[in-house]
Amino acid sequence: MATTIEQPEKIKAEPQLLGLLAEFDDPHALIEASKKVRDAGYSKWDTHTPFPLHGIDEAMGIKWTILPWIVACCGLMGGTIAVGMQYWMNAVDYPFIISGKPLFSIPASIPITFELSVLLSAFGAFLGMLGLNQLPKLYNPMFKSQAFRRVTNDRFFISMDATDPKFSEIDTGEFLKSLNPLHVEDFWSDVESPKLPRSLVLGLSLVGVLLIMPPALVAYKRSTTTNTPRIHIVPDMDFQPKLKTQNTTSIFADGREVRPHIEGTIPRGQYKDDNIPFYYGLKVLPEDQDVITIAVQDEQKPADEKAADAKPADPAAAAAEVDKLAKLPWVTEFPMPVTDKMMARGKERYRIYCSVCHGLGGEGDGLVSLRAMELQQGTWVRPASYHTENVRKLPVGRLFHTISNGVRKMPGYAAQIPPEDRWAIVLYLRALQKSHQIDAKDLRKEEVEKLRTTK
Amino acid sequence: MASVTTEPIDTITEVPGKRTPLVTGTHDYGTVTEAVCRLAECKAPKAWYIALGFSASLVGMLFGLVGYLIITGVGVWGNRSPVFWGWPIVNFVFWVGIGHAGTLISAILFLFRQDWRTGINRAAEAMTIFAVVCAGLFPGIHIGRVWLAYWLFPIPNQMSMWPNFRSPLLWDVFAVSTYATVSLLFWYMGMIPDLATLRDRATGKIQQFAYGLFSLGWNGSSRHWHRYERAYLLLAALAAPLVLSVHTIVSFDFAVSQLPGWHTTIFPPYFVAGAVFSGFAMVLTLMIPARSICGIKDLLTDRHLENMTKVIIATGSMVGYAYAMEFFIAWYGGNGYETFAFINRAFGPYAWAYWIMVTCNVISPQLFWFKKIRTTPWMIFVVCIFVNIGMWFERFVITVTSLSRDFLPSSWGYFKPTIVDVLMLIGSFGLFMTLFLLFCKFMPMVAMAEVKSVMETPHGHGDYQPDPPESH
Repeated sequence: MATTIEQPEKIKAEPQLLGLLAEFDDPHALIEASKKVRDAGYSKWDTHTPFPLHGIDEAMGIKWTILPWIVACCGLMGGTIAVGMQYWMNAVDYPFIISGKPLFSIPASIPITFELSVLLSAFGAFLGMLGLNQLPKLYNPMFKSQAFRRVTNDRFFISMDATDPKFSEIDTGEFLKSLNPLHVEDFWSDVESPKLPRSLVLGLSLVGVLLIMPPALVAYKRSTTTNTPRIHIVPDMDFQPKLKTQNTTSIFADGREVRPHIEGTIPRGQYKDDNIPFYYGLKVLPEDQDVITIAVQDEQKPADEKAADAKPADPAAAAAEVDKLAKLPWVTEFPMPVTDKMMARGKERYRIYCSVCHGLGGEGDGLVSLRAMELQQGTWVRPASYHTENVRKLPVGRLFHTISNGVRKMPGYAAQIPPEDRWAIVLYLRALQKSHQIDAKDLRKEEVEKLRTTK
Repeated sequence: MASVTTEPIDTITEVPGKRTPLVTGTHDYGTVTEAVCRLAECKAPKAWYIALGFSASLVGMLFGLVGYLIITGVGVWGNRSPVFWGWPIVNFVFWVGIGHAGTLISAILFLFRQDWRTGINRAAEAMTIFAVVCAGLFPGIHIGRVWLAYWLFPIPNQMSMWPNFRSPLLWDVFAVSTYATVSLLFWYMGMIPDLATLRDRATGKIQQFAYGLFSLGWNGSSRHWHRYERAYLLLAALAAPLVLSVHTIVSFDFAVSQLPGWHTTIFPPYFVAGAVFSGFAMVLTLMIPARSICGIKDLLTDRHLENMTKVIIATGSMVGYAYAMEFFIAWYGGNGYETFAFINRAFGPYAWAYWIMVTCNVISPQLFWFKKIRTTPWMIFVVCIFVNIGMWFERFVITVTSLSRDFLPSSWGYFKPTIVDVLMLIGSFGLFMTLFLLFCKFMPMVAMAEVKSVMETPHGHGDYQPDPPESH
C-alpha cells in the first residue's frame, strides 16, 4: 500500500510540494538539529526515528500528552459499567436468589469491576494513542522517498511541512542544509488521488456481500413464518427417541405405542378415587371439583388480598360458598367399621391436635384460644363450639372435610393427620356432641354418681 | 554506523563499575534489523519446516478430537463421579499459567526498568497469547453444548436471562478474556514499529500489503513515539495488576468452594507464583532452541537465560514454600478433613503424582543455584522441561486428589483419563507450537526498536564503553 512508488505517467494535476526531509545517521546530531529547528520558530515539523529517542521531546518542545486522562476516563467508565451491569442484571432485571445472599454486594462484584476497568483502560490507551497520532494512515507521501524507508531501521529524519507559515522552499532548504544532514530531499503530493485498484474494490465488495448473506438469511428466517418445518441445525433434544400416543411401534405385539392399563395397577393420581368416601368424605365426587378445595384456596390467599376483596362481598360470597358445600353429597355414615379402638385413637388425636383451640370439651375454649383472646383483645375469632345446632347437624363427611381442608381461620390438617385418624377424630367429636345432649334420666345410677363426685 | 564492539563479550561475568551489555557481537542498528528480519525475509531453515509439519499434524489431531467430542458429548473424557473436574480443567489452569511469564516480562520488568527484558519480551508476549488460546479451548468445549457458549456472556438471549455474576466461573470468563485482549493489544502495539520495519524492507507485493496494513502507516514520528511510549507505559501499568488478578481469579474457582484441599486463602498468591514459575520455564524451553535456529544469540544472550533462571529459583522456592505451608495449615488448623486431604495427597492413591510434582517443582529448580547449570543452555532446557512437567502435575494433584476423596468415603473414586484426554493435551501442545513457529517466521521475533534503544552505542543510551584500544 505504502510503497507503490512507480505511478504510470497519467498527469492530471500539478503536483504540490508537501515538505522537505533531512536525513541524519546519528541520533545526537538529530537532537542538536532539532533544537535549532525549534529555535528557528517552525511549528509544523517533525522528527522521525527508528526507536524512541530520549531527549528529543525537550529538543523539539513536545508537550505532555493527554493520553493518561483518556485512559483514566475509560477506566472509570469501565468500572461504572461493570457495577451498573452487575447490579441491574442480577438484582433488578433477573434477580438471582441464592441461599439467602443479598442480590447485590460489593465484594462479589470486585473481580468483574476490576477486569472491565482494566479492559476499557487498555482500549483507551491503545485507541487513544492511535487517535491522537491520527493512525492508521496507510497512505503517506513521505513513504515515496527511498531514503525514508530506513527511518524504521537505522536513519533519523527531520521533516518540514510546507503548510508551516515560515516555510519557503528555498530558505527552509538552505536552513536544513546548514544543520549538516546526510542529504536533503523534498516530497510532493500525488498527481492522482490514491484509489484502490478496481479489481480489489470489486473483490472486497463481493466478499462483503457474501459475508452478509448468511446472517441476513438467518434474520429473515427468524422473523417470518412458514408452512414447512423449521430447520434444526442443532437438534437440542427437539427430537427424542421415545414412544408417543397415536403412533405405531414394532416393540409391542399389538403395535400400539400408547399402552393399556396393566392388570392390578392404579394409574398415577387415581389411587384415592378407589375409596371416595374414605378420602373425601363424599359419596361421589361432584362434577365441579373446585368446590372441595374452596376452603383450602381461601386459606392460601395472602392476608391483605383477602382483607381487600373479601370484606365488602363477605356475607354474600361466604353464603354462596356455604351453600355450595352444603349441597354436596356428604357421607352420613362412617366409611369403615366403628370400634372401641378407633374411639380411643380419636380421643388421643383430638387431644393432641384439636383441644388446644377447641378445648377438651369442644366448646371453643382451648388454652391457645383463651390466651389469644387475652392478647388480641377481640380481633381473635373464637373457634366454633361443636355443641351448636348447626354443627350438630353437619354430616360426618362434612366434619371430615373440615379437618382435612380447614375452614375460615382453621388450617387444613390433611398434611399432619392421616385419613384414618381424621375419621377417628370425627368419631370422638360425635361422642363429645352426644355427651352434651344426653338426658339425665337416661343415665345409669353409677354414672350419675360418678358425675356428681367429679369436680 | 559505528560498531559497538570488535569482539564477543562475555555477558555472564559481572565487571564492577560497568553495565553488562544486552547485545553482544559486532552489532549496530542496521545489523540488529538484519538479524531479526532475516527469518521473515529468507527461506526458513529445514528444522522449521519439520517442526511445523509435526506440530501442525498434532493440531489436526486436536481439532479432530474436538469435533469428535462435540458430536459425541463430553462423556469421551474421563470426567465422571466423583471427579467432574478432570483433565480439561487441569489443562486450562496449566495453560493460563504458562501465559503469565510473557506479561510479567513485558509489563512488570518494564515498570521496574529492567532493560534486559527487551531481548525476550516480544517472544514471551507471543507465547502468552498462544498459551491463552490453548487455555481458552478447554473451558470452551467442556461446557458440553459448545454452540451455547455465548450464554456465558452478558448478552441478551432468547431466554431473557443473565449470567450469575457471583460465580467464580463467570469471573473466569471476564478475567481470561480481558487478559487475552489486553495481552493481544500489548503485543500488537509493541509490534507496530517493528512491522513498519518489515514493511519498509519487504520486497514482495503480498508482504508489502500485509505488513503495510498491520503497521498502520507508522512513520517513526517523534510526536507519535511520545504518545506511543506513554500508551505503552500505561498498558504495562494496567497489565501488571491484571496478570496477578487473572490467576488469582482462576484460583477462586477452587478457593471459593468448600472442598478440603481447595478452600484455602493461600491459593491466589500460590497460584500466581506457580504460574510465573511455569511461564518462565516455558519461555526458556522455547527460547533456547529458537535463538539457535533463528540465529539471534547476540540479542538473546546467555545472560538473559541466566536472569530468567534466577526468577525460576525465586518462584520455585515460593511454590515449595506454599506446599509446605498447606501441610502446616492442614495440621495447625485442626480440621480433620483438611488434614486427611493432605495426607491423602502425599500418601494416598495419587502419591505418584504428588511426588513427581514435588521432585520437579521443588527440587529441580534448586539446581539453578549452581552457576554451571545456570549458564549452560542445554542444562537449563532440561530443568525447564522438568518444571513444566511438575507444574502440570501440580494442577492435576490439586484438582483430582481433592475431588476423588472428599468428605464421604462412600463417594470416593479414582480418576482415570481416557485416550481422548491424553491426546487432547498433546494436541494443545501442537497448537501452541504451531502458532509459535508461525510467529517466529512471519513476525519480528525480537523487539527491534526496544533493543536499539538500549544498545550501547558510542552516542547512545547505555553506559557501557568498550575498553579503549590503548589499554590492550
